[in-house]
Amino acid sequence: MTDPVSASLDAAEHQHAEPSRLLPDDAVASLVRVLKVAFPHRGFPDGPYERTAEHIIATAAASPFTTAQLGQGLVSLDALRDRPFAELTPEAAMEVLQQVQHTPFFQLVRSTTVVFMYSDREVWTVLGYEGESSDKGGYVDRGFDDLDWLPDPRIEEMRA
Amino acid sequence: MTRFQNNDSDVVVVIGSGAGGGTLANELCQAGVRVVCLEAGPHLTGPDYHNDEWPAFQQMAWTDMRTTSGSWRVATDFPNLPAWTVKAVGGTSTHWAGACPRFKDYEFTAQSSYSAVEGASLLDWPITLADLAPYYDNAEIRMGVTHRHGRPPLPANNNYKVLANGAAKVGYKQYATGPYATNATPYDGRPASNQDGFNFQGDKTGAKWSTLVAELPKAGKTGNLDLRPGCHVAQITHDAKGKVDGVLYFEGEVLHRQAARVVCVAANAIESARLLLLSGSPRFPDGLANSSGEVGKNYMRHLTASSYARFEHPVHMYRGETMAGIVADETGLDVARGFVGGYNMETLSLGPAFLAAFADPGAWGPAFTEIMDGYENTAGLWIVGEDMPQSTNRVTLNGDAKDQHGLPVPNVHFDDHPNDVAMRSYAWQHAAELYRAVGAVGVTDTPPYPSTHNMGTCRMSADPTQGVVDRFGRAHDVPNLFVSDGSVFTTGAAANPTLTIVALAVRQAEHIVGQLKAGAL
Ligand SMILES: Cc1cc2nc3c(=O)[nH]c(=O)nc-3n(C[C@H](O)[C@H](O)[C@H](O)COP(=O)(O)OP(=O)(O)OC[C@H]3O[C@@H](n4cnc5c(N)ncnc54)[C@H](O)[C@@H]3O)c2cc1C
Repeated sequence: MTDPVSASLDAAEHQHAEPSRLLPDDAVASLVRVLKVAFPHRGFPDGPYERTAEHIIATAAASPFTTAQLGQGLVSLDALRDRPFAELTPEAAMEVLQQVQHTPFFQLVRSTTVVFMYSDREVWTVLGYEGESSDKGGYVDRGFDDLDWLPDPRIEEMRA
Repeated sequence: MTRFQNNDSDVVVVIGSGAGGGTLANELCQAGVRVVCLEAGPHLTGPDYHNDEWPAFQQMAWTDMRTTSGSWRVATDFPNLPAWTVKAVGGTSTHWAGACPRFKDYEFTAQSSYSAVEGASLLDWPITLADLAPYYDNAEIRMGVTHRHGRPPLPANNNYKVLANGAAKVGYKQYATGPYATNATPYDGRPASNQDGFNFQGDKTGAKWSTLVAELPKAGKTGNLDLRPGCHVAQITHDAKGKVDGVLYFEGEVLHRQAARVVCVAANAIESARLLLLSGSPRFPDGLANSSGEVGKNYMRHLTASSYARFEHPVHMYRGETMAGIVADETGLDVARGFVGGYNMETLSLGPAFLAAFADPGAWGPAFTEIMDGYENTAGLWIVGEDMPQSTNRVTLNGDAKDQHGLPVPNVHFDDHPNDVAMRSYAWQHAAELYRAVGAVGVTDTPPYPSTHNMGTCRMSADPTQGVVDRFGRAHDVPNLFVSDGSVFTTGAAANPTLTIVALAVRQAEHIVGQLKAGAL
């Protein structure tokens, strides 16, 4: 389950189970820290990161094996340097993630985040994406052609 | 709801209700031919659609098991999704954008025009542009294509403004909002576009032509169409003389048989080839209609690549008709560029959800977040160019993996031809120049998505040893078996395929009706 398409289909298929007790108590907080290093958006509030972390944990809960990989991954991040992951500088934390980027743990985190976090409505607002508009009559009267920093171009085909 | 008997051996069976099958079915019904159209997917309509990328994809995309091999990046990034096609009534015409360029004359004679290209299985089509021209007219009129036959153009949206200004700056001339099968003004009982920006998720309003909203309802009114959603054809059967006489299909878990006088396969290029391969028998040991060995080979998907450019000012590329903007100056023959064939550039937009998945699959870290953070100020274009047919690019049956019906899944093997690689890198470079000419501060070269254009797996040929079907799409080996989708493309040209699929379907219907009247089928 390393590509976003499978991740999305899996998430749609599996009911979210209760978070496993096999995970450390601070799993959400640890994952948020990982996500903020791996996906460093200056403008994102905490909400999307937290919801994504919870979603990763809930998705993993469908399979004990995946949960184990997730738990193991979080624990070992703390063991790769002389201090816990949470206490590393952003640069050092980035290096640690680069070191583990090909592990199933990181692949799970990355692919699930890519599918989930960028469907988050709060993220859309930050990025300036308005999404569905059909209930408002589309964008025909709501700015589909409001770009004004370039001249209006020809729309007709050039006659040979 | 018309329903014909399963043992009625006088009906024409059409497999698939997408651009090819839906159009063919309508044309046959209009001429008084009784048609059973078997469609694997459900019957969904506008109100069912989700204007949200992943839910829409989960709802409608063909996600039955498939496998991939070869050196194309899709095999690594999306190993079980070689193609993005739709499993629903209307097929992928429900998710298509609507860009409708025609082939050029020399693109029907790629082998003669391009001379020898090592490793490519180029062949001339057995038909010419002149043969197809009246059917192109017919297709454009039925689809309400803008800029054609008096249909007004779509207006410039924001993404087009960036594309067209950039194009003009670098000296391109052939830019326009382009031939596009979505209404700029009401037409054929369907409304004008409200520019809601959703094409690839299904159009809620019906402003966009699809077989779901245009061809199938008209066919239904004749009383000659028996449309059966949720019916997956597993095999085409034949009689002792080698003529096809029916199909076996799953409705849920139950296997049924439908008798047929003629069978037309329009399941989109991967499934059409798979179905012929699944229909092998002692008489057709290598698969039905496969004495040439060409079934499944010469799979083409167009060059494809994208460029996403970030600016200092807002673009809001997602507002408006996604692909209503084209630059055609790089079509045409000019080997000085380092490759044969040509390509179009067309406006393209993804929402944040799909941009995150597809802009640079597998990416993360600051380089990735920079792409996403620039979303509001991003413009995008798609590069769609002619890819070289190769006999090793191929759909085969994967004996190890089975689908939900227990049928072997298709494996799609693909390697880029050196000509494809050369064209793509040239195209990325020139697209970036186009955007930089109007102030881009960053440009991302995006690799091909899972294939939306699928072609060539049952190609047309004059010589029966070189292809699967003749100039009307009739199997060389089986007189009452037709292929009615992009599988029949001998070569792919630089044009998006659907207008040509529809034109060929109209032409094929006329031929079948003539043959039926003459008692030849
Ligand atoms: C996002 C997107 C954008 C696109 N934009 C454009 C564009 O702008 N211009 C353009 O020209 N083209 C575009 N295309 C491509 C276009 O959609 C296809 O070329 C066209 O729909 C192909 O028609 P078809 O009849 O071959 O197959 P489809 O339209 O895919 O129809 C095949 C049908 O067969 C059914 N089927 C398959 N197997 C079986 C079986 N065994 N039994 C029963 N039914 C079966 C499927 O469920 C499907 O409904 C786009 C495609 C996508 C995905």
